[in-house]
Parts: sequence; C-alpha cells; structure tokens
Amino acid sequence: MATNQVTLETTGARSFALWEILSIVTSCLLVEWVVFSFAGRSKVVAGIPILLALGFMFYSHRERGETLRNIGFRTDNFLAACRLLLLPTALLIVVVVVVGWLANHSLPVAPWRNRYLFLPLWAIFQQYVLNGFINRRAELALGKGVKSAVLVALVFGILHLPNPLLAVLTFVGGLIWAAVYQRKPNLFALALSHTLSSITLALLVSPKLLNSLRVGFKYFG
Amino acid sequence: MDITNPPARLVNLLIGKSIIETLLVGALAVFTFLSVFPPSFHGWGEVTAAGIAGWAVNDAAPDERVEVQLFVDGNFVAQGRANQHRPDVSAAGWAQDAWHGYEFALPPAFTKAAQMHEARVYVLHDDGHGLRKSLQLLGDPISFTINEDGTLASAGAR
Repeated sequence: MATNQVTLETTGARSFALWEILSIVTSCLLVEWVVFSFAGRSKVVAGIPILLALGFMFYSHRERGETLRNIGFRTDNFLAACRLLLLPTALLIVVVVVVGWLANHSLPVAPWRNRYLFLPLWAIFQQYVLNGFINRRAELALGKGVKSAVLVALVFGILHLPNPLLAVLTFVGGLIWAAVYQRKPNLFALALSHTLSSITLALLVSPKLLNSLRVGFKYFG
Repeated sequence: MDITNPPARLVNLLIGKSIIETLLVGALAVFTFLSVFPPSFHGWGEVTAAGIAGWAVNDAAPDERVEVQLFVDGNFVAQGRANQHRPDVSAAGWAQDAWHGYEFALPPAFTKAAQMHEARVYVLHDDGHGLRKSLQLLGDPISFTINEDGTLASAGAR
C-alpha cells in the first residue's frame, strides 16, 4: 500500500514537472505566435505571458528550495564547464562556418551591429530558461541523461520554428548545452558558448538563409 | 533534486497561469477581430440600369466617407468612395447626413447578354495602424443579368 502511494506520488511529481515545462513553452509560443500575430509589436501585451512565465519560474524555484547556486549562477565550476564546452562549441562553430560557406561558396562577413553587445545578456537569459528551469524540470521528470537532454533540445528547437536552419542548429546547440549542464551546471559558461555560436551565426551565415534569425510569426513578416 | 509531490500552492499557481493565458488569447482574438472586422459598418447594394449602386455608413465614424470596392464573379472591378447624395438613407435614420451613396458603372467586359453574374460590394477598412486592411461584405450578394440593350436587370435570387 505504502509502495503504491510512493509510486503515485512519484508519477504525480514527474507529470507536474513536465507540466511546468509545457507551461513555460506555451508562454514562449504565445509571445512568438499569438501576440505578434494579433497585437503586432505591442510590448505591453507581449509582457503578460513573459512576466507570468518568469513569475512562475521564480516561485517554482522558491517552493522547491532551489538556490541561485543550484540553478547555475555560480563561478566555482565555471572553468570545468568551459572545459566541457570547448570542443562541442568549437564543433558547433565549425558547423556554422561550413553552413555559411556551403550556402554562399564564400564567407560573407556581415557588418558588426551594436546590438550584438547585448547577446551575452540575451544568452544568459535563454540559458537560464532553457537549462536553469526546463532542464532541471526535465531531470525531475525523466532523470539525468539522454532522454532529458533530448527533451531540452527539442524544446529549444521548437521555439525557433518555423525557421528550419535555426531550428536544427538550436536543437544541436540545445543538446550540447543540456548535456553539459547536467554534468556541470554553470549558466555563465553556457552563455559564453551560446554567445560565441550566435555571433558566428550572425556574422558568417547570410541573413537571407536565416531570414534574419526571425522565429515564430515574425518569420513570415 | 528529490522527486516529491509539488506543493499545492505551486499547482494552483500553474492552473492560474494557464487560465490567465487562455483568457489573454481569447481577449486578443476578440480584440483583433473587432479591430479588423468592426461590426459598425452598414450598407446595401442593388442593381441599377447602368451598374451597381447603394450606400455605406460607418456608425463608429458617421462623418467618414467609407471606401467601397466592387467585385463581380469574384473578381475586383472597381473602387470608390461612398460620398454621393442619398437623402433616403439619412431619412431612414441610417446616417446623420445624406452623403453616403456610391455607384459603380460596369465595365464593357460585363456586357454579354443573358449571362448571370454576381456582384458583391465590400467596405474597405483600415485597422488604424496601417498594418491590416480588411474587406467586409455590405448587404447581400447581388445577382444580375445583362439585357439585350446592355442594361442590367436584377436576377431576383439573393
């Protein structure tokens, strides 16, 4: 009887962790697909699902007793995480360079834009949501390992649809970052890898091929 | 991380978040529909000897001279503004002033006798931001035929 109760509780907890992931993904898809198609560029309307998602994530961390250090905002394992990321990030950058070369038979270096300076902040925000929250809940639901890492990568890829190239690249990046996070949870190192990959992508792959990195409803605009 | 059942407060919060997002989507859908297809347009069209004529009013902006488009058999034919004198419209209480009429003469392409055609008059609406323009049907589709002398006759069936 007691064993059944524990099994039920575990199943419920795992299902709830998956529901948490689904809820955050839904908020992101709402902004990308519904708000942009219905309300144009209204920052106020877009802010509602974003704030709801952030509010829920913060509260979930609190209720589950997760600290900033648990989540990955820490420096003690930064170098170890960087070591793990070095080779896959280099490979990812090589893939991006090859894609850029194959598409144009040359490497047209796009002009530098000041908005790239904000990429590290954007990267750490995305890594927090992707790994600091979604990966942690995926681990709760499916355990550490391939299944949860693939789930995280799938989520990251889906959020970049319908941009086909970006969806594939983010799936690969998401898989690498999720796997590294499960071994060395450090969001700063992930953000560094994310920033380097994104800048390479923005500079070396033609905006036409990537449709200027547009995702969601804006992809068609 | 231990796998224990989540606190009830967290479950309630997630349910609340889902409800708010559902309401947001519903509100956005209604708001968008009302801004793109506002239910404030009224009008009518009918067959005259020379073409299609009628009137169009926007109750939300009674002073506005509404832009209308004529489609025949599904093809765009002409565009104009409903700014002609129609005292019967204001007399019937549909508009505050008498300048909401329109009239389209049909081009020669529609002068073959004995063929049945269907005209539809749409009001052209801008959502106010220039992002979207929509067409709303005024009244009912208008069926007509061309007489031997080139004049139009209502086919009656609407």
